[in-house]
Amino acid sequence: MPNTLHAYEHVQGIYLPIAVGVFALVVGTLVVLLVRGARRSRPGSRSQALVVEVSYACLLACVAGLLVWVTFTAETPIDRTVADPGLRLKVIAAQWSWRFIYPDGVSVADIDTWHPAPAYVPTGTEIEFAGTSEDVIHGFWIPALHYQRQFLPGYTTHFDLLFQKPGWYGGECSVLCGVNHSEMHFAVQAVSPQRFRAWLTEQHGHGDASS
Amino acid sequence: MSTVALPARVASSSLASTDHKRIAGTACGVAFLFFLAGGLLALLMRSQLAADGGVVSQQTYNELFTMHGSTMVYLVIVPVALAVGIYFVPLQVGAAEIAGPRVTLAGLWLYVCGGVLMWSGFLTSSGAAAASWWGFDPLSESIHSPGSGMELWIFGVMLATLGQILWAGCVLLTALRARAPGMTLMRMPVFTWTMVVTSVMVVFGFPALLLALGLLWAQRHFGGVLVGGAGAVDYQALFWFYGHPVVYVMFFPFVGMVGEVLATFSSRRFFGYSAFVVALLAFAGLSMTVWAHHMFTLGVFSNKYFALTSTALIVPAGVEYFDFLATIWRGSLRFTVAFLFAVGFLVQFLVGGLTGIILASPPLDYGLNMSYFVVAHFHYTIFAGSAFGLFGGIYYWFPKITGVMLRERLGKLHFVLMVIGTNVTFFPMFILGSEGMTRRIARYPASTGWQGLNILETAGSVVIALSVLVFMLNVVVSLRHRRPAGDDPWGAHTLEWATSSPPPRHNFDALPPIRSYAPLLDLREGAEASG
Repeated sequence: MPNTLHAYEHVQGIYLPIAVGVFALVVGTLVVLLVRGARRSRPGSRSQALVVEVSYACLLACVAGLLVWVTFTAETPIDRTVADPGLRLKVIAAQWSWRFIYPDGVSVADIDTWHPAPAYVPTGTEIEFAGTSEDVIHGFWIPALHYQRQFLPGYTTHFDLLFQKPGWYGGECSVLCGVNHSEMHFAVQAVSPQRFRAWLTEQHGHGDASS
Repeated sequence: MSTVALPARVASSSLASTDHKRIAGTACGVAFLFFLAGGLLALLMRSQLAADGGVVSQQTYNELFTMHGSTMVYLVIVPVALAVGIYFVPLQVGAAEIAGPRVTLAGLWLYVCGGVLMWSGFLTSSGAAAASWWGFDPLSESIHSPGSGMELWIFGVMLATLGQILWAGCVLLTALRARAPGMTLMRMPVFTWTMVVTSVMVVFGFPALLLALGLLWAQRHFGGVLVGGAGAVDYQALFWFYGHPVVYVMFFPFVGMVGEVLATFSSRRFFGYSAFVVALLAFAGLSMTVWAHHMFTLGVFSNKYFALTSTALIVPAGVEYFDFLATIWRGSLRFTVAFLFAVGFLVQFLVGGLTGIILASPPLDYGLNMSYFVVAHFHYTIFAGSAFGLFGGIYYWFPKITGVMLRERLGKLHFVLMVIGTNVTFFPMFILGSEGMTRRIARYPASTGWQGLNILETAGSVVIALSVLVFMLNVVVSLRHRRPAGDDPWGAHTLEWATSSPPPRHNFDALPPIRSYAPLLDLREGAEASG
């Protein structure tokens, strides 16, 4: 199941400790060298250690290989879209608001983008998003899922997202899109599949859910 | 001579001399003015974010960050990197003159005109450009960004970039064709090598920007050039084909400066010279293959290929760090201001480099792209890294350029303030970015609780401004109350220290024998061995 949250946490769990460890190692070495070098009156004369450097470069290449392997194995499932998603959702971005369109014509649009009306989605199932823009490039970003995609005018971008936990997911436009870029927020409310079906039926009763 | 004639004479000789040292000096002076102007824009942006809105309008805020980024990249760091090369590459390879002095002068004019054009956008009724330093299509098209500010930005960037291509060509030709007898390629100083690979990247990468901007201009006036989603992707691809090499153009020259400073003040030969040169060449080659890692979230390129090439950069980068540390290893260290800035570069650039590896992984980039995490990352590379390397180079070479020493105590105050200001300003951005703060926003919802860290960052930026004032004071004091430097105040290794300070028009009266990449160190060691 494509789980962006899990992929992010998995990769970060490997990358971040390595980064912190390398930083500590380099700075620690530097401090030792500085303290010892401050007291030395005659410098050493060796200026080449090719064997050491070549072996060290090979070690670095192995580390790079490991990192790339971790990245590739985590990326493959989240770049894929499944054949039969639990819900297909169309998202249209335009300066400076979002519109979510459900398969049966129900749509949720944001007028007040500081306090956006949430688009409901069911938890625990893949949701296929088909995103596009009506004017400039917009960035569809849900920080809590650690996922974003750029929406282009005249081109539809497909991706799957999984909302594991119920709750309110804030979203924002991440690509500069003009004067009101700061205000282009949206919201997704993840609820259980039963509550989602009830909400959808209720929206049908209202005709169009545009707020 | 009348008092009116004097400034005019200075201006005409600064803008008409074909002496590479004067051209470089003028370019650095102009770039410093742009640095102050770009810094003022940053302080305005920081005030806006500390107050969470209300200082400037959203439109003005978009103009501020557009012009801040454009100024710092197109008019400050890249020109300064090349200008320092224009000054020192001929000296370091023992040449009497730069290759193509009049072309170099033309580059200066193009650069100055480009900068003035770009900034004159603020004088137009529609304001300056507001589509970020990328000028992304379609936002930069005439329907979404009408007005002459955007036009002036396009022409300004094109002129400055054309000037930089000319400069890089001259620096490259000097290193390849104008070296003194005995100065083989593998005896060129570390800084000269970094300028060679920098110039190669400029010559190959920068024309892509001219092409992108030319297409954008045609689209604005005639349409039908950059159409729909494909047009937007084409512009981004061309832009980043320039944009990724350019981030190493803003890095390598400062790596070279740090290398010279570390070797000189460790009182020993630069360690691992040949490995370093190979690493630089590999770095430059790889840098032309990573551009689409800026476009992971578009999902139209092969993200895995670009993740692979980008992550592979840790091999040459790691070799460079190894050589830096090994140069200090068993050195007899002198903690001058230049050395402190070089050490500051080593520590702080590392933060930028390591977070760069994080962003090179698509599953992480999907969550962090376009956020303040990215803003923190590239300010750690360009400001906490390159600007520290540059100040190291300034404190190191100022005596050579002016003939007088900078004050060490004021310099140490400058260093300490800049370390504090830099880290207080930029480190919290990593946290805000991970929490979901998008870049380029003029306001954020109060419910996010980001205001505290934003106020802290703004306080840090004031400390950076103070440190720059201390630096300016240092320059003024040092030039007024002159302490003569002599030819070689540091006991340095390379040829620019074998001539007077400042060097004569023709650079050298006589050259020492050149038998390695550290000819002056050879001389001293030879004298020690025989005496």
